[in-house]
Formats: sequence, structure tokens, C-alpha cells
Amino acid sequence: MTAVRIRRAAFALILLAALYGVAAWIGQGRLPDRVWMGAHYVENVQLLPTFPSLFEEAGFLLESGILPASAAVSLLRVLAGLLLGSTVGILVGLATGRASRAESLADPWVSALRFTPALALLPLFVAWFGYGEISKVLLIASGVAVVTLLGAHQGVRSVPRVYLEAAASLGARGAFAFRKIVLPLAFPAIFASLRVAIALAWVTIVVAELIDARMPSLGYLLALSGAYPRVPTMLVSIGTVGLLVLVSDLLALLLHARATRWMGRAA
Amino acid sequence: MTAPLLQAAGVGYSYPGPTPTKALDNLDLDVEEGEFLALLGPVGCGKTTLLRIFAGFLEPTEGTVRCGGEIIQGPGPRLGYVLQEQSIFPWMSVRDNLEFGLVARGVDAAERHEISDELLRLIGLEAFEAAWPKDLSAGMSKMVEVARVLATDPAILLLDEPFGALDAQTRARMQDALTRLWEQRRKTVVFVTHDADEALYVADRIAVLSHRPGRVKTTVAVDLPRPRSFETRFLARFVALKRMLWEGMDSATQGV
Repeated sequence: MTAVRIRRAAFALILLAALYGVAAWIGQGRLPDRVWMGAHYVENVQLLPTFPSLFEEAGFLLESGILPASAAVSLLRVLAGLLLGSTVGILVGLATGRASRAESLADPWVSALRFTPALALLPLFVAWFGYGEISKVLLIASGVAVVTLLGAHQGVRSVPRVYLEAAASLGARGAFAFRKIVLPLAFPAIFASLRVAIALAWVTIVVAELIDARMPSLGYLLALSGAYPRVPTMLVSIGTVGLLVLVSDLLALLLHARATRWMGRAA
Repeated sequence: MTAPLLQAAGVGYSYPGPTPTKALDNLDLDVEEGEFLALLGPVGCGKTTLLRIFAGFLEPTEGTVRCGGEIIQGPGPRLGYVLQEQSIFPWMSVRDNLEFGLVARGVDAAERHEISDELLRLIGLEAFEAAWPKDLSAGMSKMVEVARVLATDPAILLLDEPFGALDAQTRARMQDALTRLWEQRRKTVVFVTHDADEALYVADRIAVLSHRPGRVKTTVAVDLPRPRSFETRFLARFVALKRMLWEGMDSATQGV
């Protein structure tokens, strides 16, 4: 199943790259190379850089260490935010799921949480914690926490009654039943929410870094190349973000497959 | 004579709601120690309700139910309840399923292993000890559920239409397996079914429930020889008892 998915994804990527290559080849020499930047014209801009110039740019960014260093900074922020956010979110979600008598997640507070974009909190966090690492990590963490909280809450709420009753008849109660019955059954829902949270974390960090573009990072690289503008740098940065999202999602997917081997193939 | 192991006296149950439905009414039933009792009745007669009261998941709205002289207060390993729905834990191996109640009780690994070994042998699933439940047939899963409950050595075994979802052939095989199990263990069993043939094949005594609200219409002693086998189903006595049951059930459904 996973292998088929990877093959399909690879095919789609190659197709996309090929289409881009054709577009860039056609556009070469036909597109304008002057761009109005609001106050002045910038000359010699490649709007659709061809593959050779993209590879050249990627080579430069890699060799100079700019790209690896930027990626590392963004990656660390994402990891810290994910760790903090998912720990808080999952623990709170498990607790509310266990305590809640309400069957539905239609409560107003849930909707308010779910549909408030985490990025809306950026000005607030900047006001509270200033520009810097704390704001960025907290920003990711808050988005991740909401998503995983809902996942864990839902996961606990949707545990079928039959398993709880069978366990109770076998003498399992309280924390033991929660650990042995509720947690394994809630796990798929929690993990699904974690996958969404990973994607969200990347979106959040790139936008936050674009807005507060100071320390080298992927968002910073994007903002900087936008200011010149240097389209090859932009595309390489965007590609790097895409690659990191893809790899982290794939890792999550593999972990998920491993942890749910007990499920039928159809599930 | 000793007091019955399970004793339901004047039991009534109404499901709450805007229009309360009376599922059971003034029901009396005694189950003797070591007896295999079948509860037979049409669909919707309150068999499952009664079994859930015995299992401690429902509290009777009238009357009392005692197990070993004590009023039943909530579920527990003394009341070995096998649900009608499939309830094998799909995230645990067959052996872990069997040992679940023992782990809950804090039994050490060596003793757990010994007990689960014996149960695996009894239900003939030694080769499947490490298998995931998804690799078992529905009938095998049900036998694991029965054995899982036996592992904790309950005072009574409460089975709710365990083979209801199986095809006729598998059903007959499972009835055989259960009968073998019971002939070796001699547990007190309450077996809910709507199938007269099944009740006759497995039970010592059959309590026929009336249509809703359920009460015990009649009880029939099943004087068929044990061990039971394929031949049992064709004995003249089996057929005679079956006729009796059908007639009992017919009058049970009259007036609907």
C-alpha cells in the first residue's frame, strides 16, 4: 500500500517537474526580464528559471552551507513546536475525551478552536514574547496543540462500547483499562491528527519566518530572494520546504503503519 | 439442598426514556451451580437485557439478582460475560487476549502462560497463539472470547448468542467445541439463543422466555445423554424436545 503511494507520488512529482521544464524552456527569451519592484526596475530577472540554472543555484546554496543551515533552523523550530504542542494537545485531548459526557464535537468552543488559524496569534505572541524563538515555537505549538487535542479527544470518544464492556467483565478498570483499551483504540485518530499537525507546523513556520525574516531560515531565504528578486533561490527554497514536508509525512506514515499492523488491510 | 448460584427474583427492567419500554417483567429464574442453562426466546424478548443484568451492566428496576448469595453490583471477573458483538481485542495477539484478565488481576507471567497454554489447547488454537485476531475466522474469534473469560475462572459464564453471526456449519462446529469445553470444565453457564436446536444441543435445561415484556414462560429439562455429538441431533428424544420447545415458543409469541 505504502509502496504504491510512493510510486504514485514520485510519478506526480516527475510529471510536475517535466511540465515546469517545458514551460521554462518555452518561456526562455520570451518572458520579460525586467520586474517593477514598486520603486524601481530590476534587470536580468529570470521569471521561470530553467533546470540548469536551478541546479546551479541549488549547488551554490548547498555548497555555501546557506541552505543546510537555513533548513536546520526551520527544522528545529518545527520539531520543538511539534513536540511541545503535541504533548500538551494529546494529554489535554485524552483528559477531555475521558471526562466529556457530550457525544459530539459540535460545542462552540471546539469550533472556535478549530477554525481560528494559529497564525492569527502571531501579533499576540510577538507582543508577549517579542520576536525570536519563543514566539515562533509557541506559534507552531499552539496550532499543533489544537489539532492533536481534537484528534485525541475524538479518538477517546469513539472507542467502541463493546471493548470497554468486555474489559470491565475481565476485571479491567480505571487507569489499567484506559492504558490497555482506550489508548490503543484512540491511537489511529491521534496519529491522523498528528499528520495534519506536521503539515500545519511547516506552513506556520514558513509564514512566521517570512514575516519575521531576520535569522537565517527557510522563510528568511524566501523573503530575501523575494526582495531582490531571485526566482531560482525562491524555487529552491520552496522545493526544500516541500521535500521536508514530504519526508516528515512519510516518516509519520511509516510509523503509523507499523503501530497499526493489527488492523485489517481494509481498515 | 444448596441455594442456587444465580437467583433472579421478581426482576423487572424498563428502559428509560420519554416512553419507557418494559423489557422484563416479574421474572424469576434460578441457575444451579454447574448447570448449563439456555435462555431461549424470540428476538426482542429481553434475553440480552436479562444477561446484561446478570453481567452487572444493567441494574434491574424491580426485584433482585444474586450471585452466590450476594446482590450483583457492577461487572467484574466473577461474572464472565461474552458479548453478542465481536469483542476480541484486535490490537492484541490471541495469547495476549487470553491473558488480559490475568494481567488485570496481576498474575505473574509464568502462571499466565500456563493458563493460556491450556486454554489454547482446549480451543485448538495452539498454532495461532501469536496471530492477530484479524487472521482468525469469526468462529475462532468467538472461541477466544469464551476462553478469555474462562481464564479468570469466573463463577458463571454468560454467553449472549455467541454463534449468532455464523453460518450453519461453523455454528454446529462451534457448538461442538463449546460442549467439549463445558464437559471438561463444568462451569455454570447461561447461554442466550433464539435457536431451539442450539439450545437443545448445548444445554441441560432451557428457560423459554415470553415475548416482551419477558418472563419465564416454561422451563424444559434436556435429558439428552452427554457427551453430545452429531448423532444427538437425530435422536427421537431431541426431536420430541424440539417440538415441545416450538410449541412453548409459539404460545410465547401469541397475542402479538
